[in-house]
Amino acid sequence: MRDRALLLGYLAAVVTATLVHDPRVLGAGAVLVLLSAGRDLPRLLRRLLRATLPVVLAVSLGYVVAARDDLATAGAVLLRLDLRVLLLVGLALRVLPAVNLQRALGFSDSLRFLLVLATSQVLAFGRLFADFRHALDARTPARVGPPTALRHGAATAAWFVRRAEHDAAAMTQALDARGLFLDRD
Amino acid sequence: MHIPDGFIAPQVYGPAYGAAGVLWAVGLRRLRRRLDPAAVPRLAVATAAAFALMMVSLPLPGGTTVHVSGVGMVAVLFGVWQAFLALSLVYLLQAFMLGTGGVTALPVNALAMGLGGSLAAVGALRLLGRGRVGLFLAGWFGTVVPAVIVAFVLGLQPLVARAADGTPLFFPFGWAVTLPAVVIPHLAVGVADGVLAVLAWRILAPQEEP
Repeated sequence: MRDRALLLGYLAAVVTATLVHDPRVLGAGAVLVLLSAGRDLPRLLRRLLRATLPVVLAVSLGYVVAARDDLATAGAVLLRLDLRVLLLVGLALRVLPAVNLQRALGFSDSLRFLLVLATSQVLAFGRLFADFRHALDARTPARVGPPTALRHGAATAAWFVRRAEHDAAAMTQALDARGLFLDRD
Repeated sequence: MHIPDGFIAPQVYGPAYGAAGVLWAVGLRRLRRRLDPAAVPRLAVATAAAFALMMVSLPLPGGTTVHVSGVGMVAVLFGVWQAFLALSLVYLLQAFMLGTGGVTALPVNALAMGLGGSLAAVGALRLLGRGRVGLFLAGWFGTVVPAVIVAFVLGLQPLVARAADGTPLFFPFGWAVTLPAVVIPHLAVGVADGVLAVLAWRILAPQEEP
């Protein structure tokens, strides 16, 4: 219940933030989100900057150059846009990690079932992918050249495809052995 | 290519959620209708495979690297509907687990990359077959077509959401900027995706023989 309420509250806040266009309100919202982090503020700021800075900088600098004849108007447009991006990404980084997606989407058994399976596989695949990258780094003392990187990328992709097929078959057999498909008929 | 939160106006993400919602429901119903017990596990691992494929980075001329989209490969391997559902789930998990993308951009990302990219990749493969050219173009179109859609949607923002004084409320650039800025880099990313699809298939194909 808590997770569903958090998710609904987050979605309502997101919709509101896209319907409000006053920079003062958007700025106040962003400050509130940042302050709500408490001691985690430096960490939240780091993540926020890492997630938004490249895109925000590229768009903002591009717009300043494009609208250089009227910098006051360009500034107002960018202030509104950048504050909205900060508020929305800050909200996502602050709220979403606290939401248990499986519980929040528990109204549908099928959706929850799919999410549990997908998340567990994603986490396992993420760790395996890091292992592949470390193994390549360990084997190549110099910087990896394009042909090696291409072959490594293709071999990794092929390995994950085979592993995905194997895992799907193993999972189906395991779930079948536990009678899950009988229960769901 | 992911659009972050804050760039898309409600006038666009609202209808996009409507369209994507209908297609998600149709896709799930098609999956259930097959009455295949392996359908859901296959979709789950297709999601994880798509997630892992997107982590593969390849070198570009100039010393930079680029993350492949993996859309073409996922579509070729799992078909359009399963790829659409799996990629939508990837974007949902990326938004929740990594903070990339976002909930306002989710339906646009899902429609552009999950559906547009998958249709383009499978279309290329059906037209040209599973030879080198067909696989390369499936990977290439699976990246470039979504880039065109994303550029179109971004360039639409200043037209649909303006303040009373005419200034843009969301993403400020029109098509004259978004189309070259988004599409041109993805022509190169598409080459990386295409080469990856050809090489990966070459590794996989001998083991597919009975």
